[in-house]
Order: sequence, then C-alpha cells, then structure tokens
Amino acid sequence: MREITYAEALNEALRICLTEDERVVLLGEDIGRYGGIFQVTKGLQEVFGPERVVDTPISEAGFVGAGVGAALTGMRPVVEIMFIDFTTVCMDMIVNQMAKMHYMFGGKGRVPMVLRINIGAGRGAAAQHSQSFHSFFMHMPGLYVAIPATPYDAKGLLIEAINNDNPVVFVEHKRLYVTKGHVPEESYRIPFGQAEVRREGKDVTVVATHAMVIAALEAAAEAAVAGIDVEVVDPRTLTPLDKEAILRSVKKTGRLLIADEDNKTCGVAAEISAIVAEEAVYYLKAPVLRNCSPDTPVPFSPPLEKAYLFGKDRLLESIRRLMAYA
Amino acid sequence: MATEIVIPMLGITVEKGKIIEWLKNEGDPVEKGESIFVVEADKVTTEVESPASGILAKILLPEGVEVPLLTVVGVITRPGEEVPAKYLKAAAAVATTTPSGPEFAVSRPPPPAPTPVARTAEDVIRIVPAARKLAREKGLDLRTLTGTGPEGVILFKDVQTTAATVAEPSPKVSTLARRQAAKEGVFLAALQGSGVRGRVMRADVERAIRQEKAPRLGKVIPMDTMRQVIARRMSESAFNAPHIYFFTEIAMDPLLTFRQEILADFEVRYGRHLSINDFLIKAVALNILDFPILNATIRDKEILIPSDINIGLAVALPEGLIVPAIALADKAGLAEIAYQRTDLVKRAQSGKLTMAEIERGTFTISSLAQYDITQFTAIINPPQSGILTVGKTREELYLLNGNVASRKVATFGLAVDHRIIDGVVAAEFLQHLKLKLEKPTFTFLHL
Repeated sequence: MREITYAEALNEALRICLTEDERVVLLGEDIGRYGGIFQVTKGLQEVFGPERVVDTPISEAGFVGAGVGAALTGMRPVVEIMFIDFTTVCMDMIVNQMAKMHYMFGGKGRVPMVLRINIGAGRGAAAQHSQSFHSFFMHMPGLYVAIPATPYDAKGLLIEAINNDNPVVFVEHKRLYVTKGHVPEESYRIPFGQAEVRREGKDVTVVATHAMVIAALEAAAEAAVAGIDVEVVDPRTLTPLDKEAILRSVKKTGRLLIADEDNKTCGVAAEISAIVAEEAVYYLKAPVLRNCSPDTPVPFSPPLEKAYLFGKDRLLESIRRLMAYA
Repeated sequence: MATEIVIPMLGITVEKGKIIEWLKNEGDPVEKGESIFVVEADKVTTEVESPASGILAKILLPEGVEVPLLTVVGVITRPGEEVPAKYLKAAAAVATTTPSGPEFAVSRPPPPAPTPVARTAEDVIRIVPAARKLAREKGLDLRTLTGTGPEGVILFKDVQTTAATVAEPSPKVSTLARRQAAKEGVFLAALQGSGVRGRVMRADVERAIRQEKAPRLGKVIPMDTMRQVIARRMSESAFNAPHIYFFTEIAMDPLLTFRQEILADFEVRYGRHLSINDFLIKAVALNILDFPILNATIRDKEILIPSDINIGLAVALPEGLIVPAIALADKAGLAEIAYQRTDLVKRAQSGKLTMAEIERGTFTISSLAQYDITQFTAIINPPQSGILTVGKTREELYLLNGNVASRKVATFGLAVDHRIIDGVVAAEFLQHLKLKLEKPTFTFLHL
C-alpha cells in the first residue's frame, strides 16, 4: 500500500468530501491560496474555487460563527483554526453556539460542523502557539472530539467527522503532520468511540494519544527487550471515549500509564485515571501513572522547551516504575 | 537528631496506658504520621502516629506493660544515626525493673496533636487494590502478608505466593474470625464453625474467648485493662464521693401511651425507632437545665458546671460496663437522640467508641428495666455528680378517687455526690423529673 503523510491524508479526506458533497465548504485563515499553515488544504482552492475554499479575515470569532450559521442552514463547513491557542478568542462561538444549538433548539436545528485545530509543542513557537489543551473540548458537553494519531486514522476520522451530524472538534498534531503511513486511496470512515489496541501486551497498559502513540510503541519495543509486555491503547476519540477498551486492557494488565500532551492538572489523563479508579480499582496492581506536559506555559527557550517535551524515554521510565509492582 | 516517641495525652481523666501492639519492629523505617503502635487506656484503644520520619531504632516499652502517659516508649533516628546511649540504658532498665520509673516519665507539653484514630485494622496496611481484593477472596489476613514492592507495599504476587503456600485453611475461617483469633491467640482448629459448611465465623471465635474468660470455680482470671479501669474508677467514686440515694415511683402509663401514639408516625417521618430510653434521656437533660448542679464536677476547690449536657447511657458488654454519652441532649431533638443512642450502643458493642464519646458524659442513666429488678442503687460515674437508675415497669393497684384502679409504675433511683449536692436539691430534681415523665405531652411539646 502506498504511504502518504498525515497532512496529505487529511488533504485527501477533504478532497473526497468536497467532491462527494457540495454542502462541504472550507473556511480558515490562509487555507486557500497558501494551502494552510500546515499545507493541509494545499491545492484545494484551485480545484474547488474560492467559494468553497474560503480565505477568511483574521477573525476567529467571525468565521467560526459563520461556520455555525452555515451548518445550521444545512451546509457542512470545515473550519480551520491555525493553532488550538486561538480557539480562546472564539470560545463563545464554540462553547455556547456550536456545542449548544442542537440542545437549545430541541434537536430541530443541528450543527454538522467540523472545527479543525492542532496541538503540540516542539517547534519553537512559544507559549501562545504551542499549547495542547484539547481536554477543554472533552470537558465540554455537546462536542465530539477526535484525536488521530496516524495518517490512516486522520483520513478515516475526518471523513467520519464531516459526515457526522454533530459538531466535531478535530484535534490534529503539529509534529505528526509530516509522519508517513499506509493510507488507502478510497474513501473510508472510522466510527467514533472505538479505540484501537496498537499493540497487545499483558504487563502494562499505556493509554496514549496523538504523538504519544508513536512514543508508546517505541517504548513498548524497548521494554519488550527487557521482558516487559506493554499494551498500547489509542482511544482515537476523546468524546465519545471508548471506556470499555481502556477498562478491558487495565483489567488484563493491572497497571496503567496514560501518556497525553495536555497539561497534567485536569487533563485527559486525569479523566481516564478517574474512570479507572471508579470502575476498575480492584484490578489495579500498581498506582496509576501519568506522563503529561508540565503545568507551565510552553517555554520559548530551546533548552527549556526540550525539557518541557517528553517521549519514549519518559514513558519507559514510567513503565519501569509500574513494573516495580510486578 | 533522635526523636522520642511517647504515649500521648489520651484524655483528661486518663493517667496511664499500655501498648497492646507495636505495628513496627525495631529497625523498620517509619514515616511521620504513620501508625506505629496501638495504646490502650481507659477501655479504649487508639493508634498512635509516628512523630517523625526515620528508623524505629529502639523500642523501650514492650507490649502489655502499663505506664504513665508521656512515658518515652521508643526512639526514632535518622538513617545511619546511632541510638543515643541514654536510651540503651533506659531500655535495659525497662526490661529489668518496674516500667513506670520516674526516669522515663518526661514532663513536658504533650506532643503536637497526635490524632487518635479509632483503630481499624486495614487503615495502615499498604497494599495495591488488586492484591487487597485477592487477599479478601482467599481469606488471608493482610497483617500476615509481607510486601516486597516499593516501600514495602504488598503486591499482587505477594498475595498469590502466600495464597499458594497457605494450604486451603482447614477448617474454613472467615477473614474477621481469623483476624480476631490471631489477636486473641485462639486456636482455630479446635473451634466448631457455625457458618456455611462449618465455616468458622467471628461469633465462634468470640464465643471461645468468652468461655475462656468466663468465671469458673477454682480459676484465677487476670483482670484485663477494662476491668482494671472499672475497678479503679468504681472504688475511687465509692470512697471519695459520699453517695446519698433517693427513690420515687413514677407512673409510666402516660409516657407509654404517648410513645405508642407517636411511634409509627415518628418512624415514618424520621426513620428512627423511639425507645423509652430516648424519652428518659431527653427528660433528664431538660431537668438538668432546671438543676444545673446535677451537671457538675468537682475540681480541687471548685465546682465546675460544663455548659454542655451530655447524658451517658450505661451499656453492658461481656467485658464490663461502658458509658457512651449522648451529646447535647438538652438541645437535640428526639430523632437526633434516637440516632445517637442507636449508633453509640452499636459501636460500644463492637468496641469502636472514641475516647471523647465516653469522656464527654456529664450525667448517667443506668437502666435495668428489662430485668425483674424493682429498684437498685448505682455508683456515680466519676467525675460526674449524679446517676439515675431505672427499675422495671410493673403493674399495681392504687386508689383513684376512692376506687381501686390499676396503673403501670417504675421506681427511679437517684444517687448524688453529697459533697456538692444537698438532699433537698436531689429530692427536687427527682420530683421534677417525675412530673416531666408523667406529663409527656407538655414535656416533649417543643420537640
């Protein structure tokens, strides 16, 4: 099978949806002529024209609101925000409009809209362009939250998101845009709420998201050399969350590490820890551990940013700590 | 620097305590705040927390020896630190001479807030949840397990290993029974189990313990701490407080009818079953409001009258009598009193009362109404100044406007400390109580 990048897989998903469904429109800053800051929409305006691939002014509240309105009238807008950091200027549109309209109108109006954002530090982009607070949207009722970790999932989840009748926050990852993987050429959909067990193991469960899936697989390979059998579970969507898959794995291994790049406090990992504490505590053979970003702004200083980031080595350390309880 | 471990202050009337169990051994690492021994004082056991982190370098007081409070019982050192020589000498002395020697009693303010926790066996055991569950399934006493995990935590595999080596226990024994048996040194194999398929239950172990302690002709029974405390306090009270006694007959029909009338509705509304004792407690508390001196305590040359009225209720246990007190009985409604009474009696029976619940009493009621006892006297529960006794309710004939009628009546007795309570005051107290109980509708009007 051919290999393409995560960004190309997303591009392909958008291209398929634009072709198949004339209600699909793209909105965002520099997504047209420039092809988007991460080149996800590259070449689409040339094919589908400026009416369907719209370069917007620098006004997130304005064009996210336009997306909500368009969705309410029956369109299927896919709105790109350059960085998750900028969702804060349009939080009212996301939290009070996009997520709530369906409820406020008793189901008579709906918002089949996709909000594409991205997380991830490590590009020297400092505290306002590097954040990973995707748990905000997991916290907020009324939104689906997809978190693809591979090019295959990026394409399948995005096609599902665009065809879904509910508002979806689609959280991409900056460092993953250039990663390559097998992606079929045809259209396919990955249903929401189905985690993927990326690697089976019996000693430790690592629930990993986004780039941490890759790091967890690398760590698992290294741990295997030491005789530690690691299972890696990728939830793929945070809302709905495939609790069953996580609990099933924890019940098998009894040891849980959650690796997610959100800040540690009140983050994705905190929520998953709480679920396991509530529903599977008697299966735990060790404390639950979390590898998350520190509760600090992302530093601009390159050495400090390096210290802020974590990956395979930090995960391995945690896996070893868990195995002290074996 | 070495840190001394002392027996903490356990209550205002407590003078001595004895360690019934060290939870740590010499040489064990201890964390500040971690329970290190269980002390028994005045009928109640309390876990004592470590005052510092380090190594439990020296145990100076063995289990089972009674000493004054604040006695130094052990020493904690930092890792690598030598035990100061004076403690080594002291340890030798404890081993050979009387343990309450003055050189060990250190006079200084009590250590910073040793939070006495009601003793629950599992609180202090560090074990991962899955291992705890397995141990429960296998009927293993967590205290018998050795942890091999980080900081000694008991791991899943530790339980598995123990479960594999401990042959299926024969006879089958419940966890609680096993723990109780281990504590009291009961030989399980000799017991006849009353549970399903002959499983030995806690009740079986307790029966065996009772039989062991039951008086028999030609037997010498060592007094346990509880009996010793009772013995000391009873003679203190009997010989220090000159008792005078008063008796009166109280017609019980009005109260019995009143209770009957409200019983069902009360239970529906408050979910509590009212007993006659609840009315007695409340009426006594209200009566004390009229006669505050009955709430008093003697302290040197002062008469101390606490502002709270806490009514103790004597509860008979196989090991002896214990008197938990209903707090603020004058202010508490009947539902609250019924709740407190049920809860305290239940916990008294399972040995889970706290020191405060026993010590806060300001007046005591002792009832033998369930026995065929017409009247009796009681020794005042020190440092209180009065105790009310309640005999059985009986039926008698009496003259009502020249006609013979029948009524239910009980004899109430009052013993007071004559040093501070005069006969007339006691008589009036009892008479007012009689009026309150014979006119229940008015007495309990505002509840």
